[in-house]
Amino acid sequence: VDSKQGCKIDLVFSTQSYNQEEGEKHLGNCSAHVFFKNEKPRPAINITCTRSIEKKKRQEDDYLLYKQLKQLKNPLKAANIPDSHGHIDPSLRPIWDLAFLGSSYVMWEKTTPFLHYNLVRLTSVKQWKTNDTIDFDYTVLLHELPTQEIIPCRIRLVWYPGKPLKVKYQCQELQTLEESSGTVEGSAESTELSNI
Amino acid sequence: MQGLLVFTLLLGVAFGHEDFVGHQVLRISAADEAQVQKVKELEDLEHLQLDFWRGPTRPGSPIDVRVPFPSVQAVKVFLESLGIEYRIMIEDVQSLLDEEKEQMLISNARASVRSTDAFNYATYHTLEEIYEFIDLLVSENPQLVSKIQIGNTYEGRPIYVLKFSTGGNNRPAIWIDTGIHSREWVTQASGVWFAKKITEDYGQDPVFTAILDNMDIFLEIVTNPDGFAFTHSKNRLWRKTRSRTAGSICVGVDPNRNWDAGFATGGSSSNPCSDTYHGKFANSESEVKSIVDFVQNHGNIKAFISIHSYSQLLLYPYGYTTKAAPDKEELDQLAKSAVTALASLYGTKYKYGSIITTIYKASGSTVDWTYNQGIKYSYTFELRDTGANGFLLPASQIIPTAKETWLALLTIMEHALNHPY
Repeated sequence: VDSKQGCKIDLVFSTQSYNQEEGEKHLGNCSAHVFFKNEKPRPAINITCTRSIEKKKRQEDDYLLYKQLKQLKNPLKAANIPDSHGHIDPSLRPIWDLAFLGSSYVMWEKTTPFLHYNLVRLTSVKQWKTNDTIDFDYTVLLHELPTQEIIPCRIRLVWYPGKPLKVKYQCQELQTLEESSGTVEGSAESTELSNI
Repeated sequence: MQGLLVFTLLLGVAFGHEDFVGHQVLRISAADEAQVQKVKELEDLEHLQLDFWRGPTRPGSPIDVRVPFPSVQAVKVFLESLGIEYRIMIEDVQSLLDEEKEQMLISNARASVRSTDAFNYATYHTLEEIYEFIDLLVSENPQLVSKIQIGNTYEGRPIYVLKFSTGGNNRPAIWIDTGIHSREWVTQASGVWFAKKITEDYGQDPVFTAILDNMDIFLEIVTNPDGFAFTHSKNRLWRKTRSRTAGSICVGVDPNRNWDAGFATGGSSSNPCSDTYHGKFANSESEVKSIVDFVQNHGNIKAFISIHSYSQLLLYPYGYTTKAAPDKEELDQLAKSAVTALASLYGTKYKYGSIITTIYKASGSTVDWTYNQGIKYSYTFELRDTGANGFLLPASQIIPTAKETWLALLTIMEHALNHPY
């Protein structure tokens, strides 16, 4: 670690299926090199994973998710997912999954060697009516550590299977009234949702 | 709160089927006449569809306005660009309405639970329900359990501790507290389960019976009652106490930074608006002072366990300094045994170590103070999970969490019994 330049971390980890129905099925292994330049947020990440799900299956899973989202009451409006008791209605699960993906980009952009985040809750969800893409406005609450603060962020997410994910966000830092905001466009590879 | 409930009810009734998803209610503090004028200008912009619950009158008088979802960003930007202070009173009007409707249905439908056997341990409860449970448990087990009031909260609520004792006079004792941070709901829920478990296992389980035959157990289930009530009524993610700080609009002190151990020496915040605000001085919070007084008056507590969530960790002192605790070796070994016992039930993995090396520097924390008082077995738990659900742990995980944690607690209690000091 060269503290003048930045902070480097090498990681090795395994992945498992995010889908609750499939249980904790081991999927593959990854190794990653994470570099924070000058303790700034949005570390550079180089990651390679052993391919564990075939491309065809991934595409199928993506289209399944896409269909589920298209089938919801359109345009969807919802709030407080999960509720105070930690419960998510099964029909709203796809919303949570997509929001989690979008939020993970936001958290990546905000993470520094000293601050990290967890997604707590979607406080509101509003879907935009479109012909093709999945297009949502969310507000989320992020739990910031070690400050313990709860940070609200507004996220706009646009997704179409096979295309890069688009995330626009604006977070409100309570104490300083600073805002962090940005636009992220994911690569098709890293955002195929079946890997989650 | 009553006024708010009436207001929102009227709102719901008056507007019938209109929905308020994403609508926020902001409380604006106009500092001077110029700012008041600006807010009045806002009132005139009809397309924003603002609904003033308390209109702009004069500086210093709060202005409450319901802002429809599409206008929220614009209004906030407007206020912020003019330096007009505001805070979000209601984050989502619709969800508040829905929750209150639900609460009313539930309280109308629910009859009071008649016995602790009929109590539902697999769901989260309100403060009233937990206090009812406590009274029931005492009345069902008068020989074993008694309720002690150790003080009052900032807002005047009683603070209760359950004493489990099979006799003796000021026997060496074990202290367990849950819910010091009010949003960590799985901890209060686990505390309720522990209370019941104690009454079930005494006389049945030989290991536990030996413990309670020789030591007393003190259990404080709701260590931060004001905060807990607030997580039910207004903000599910409230952490601190609800004390007012002179000179600040922000409320509450972090009760796990308010203890007299390295108080305010880094690892806590001096900003009253921060979630780790340490307070104006150590023990400023009655919720903390009550325990301090109790511990010092008792004088014979041998193990002190403070329970939090989340992260799945078992921690021992220190948090305020990197200097190793004199009993580090023993505490580390015992922690290892405890997390092994915990994992034996469902495979739940815990990490362990001192606070400062395992999570971060935290000063003024509970177990640093209790350890410095001479209570060797001072531990902090962070229960399930590791972030996927965090504070909003599904109720279905309450009992599994309580069960596995109990095995760790037994390990610590047994060790304390067999290693008197």
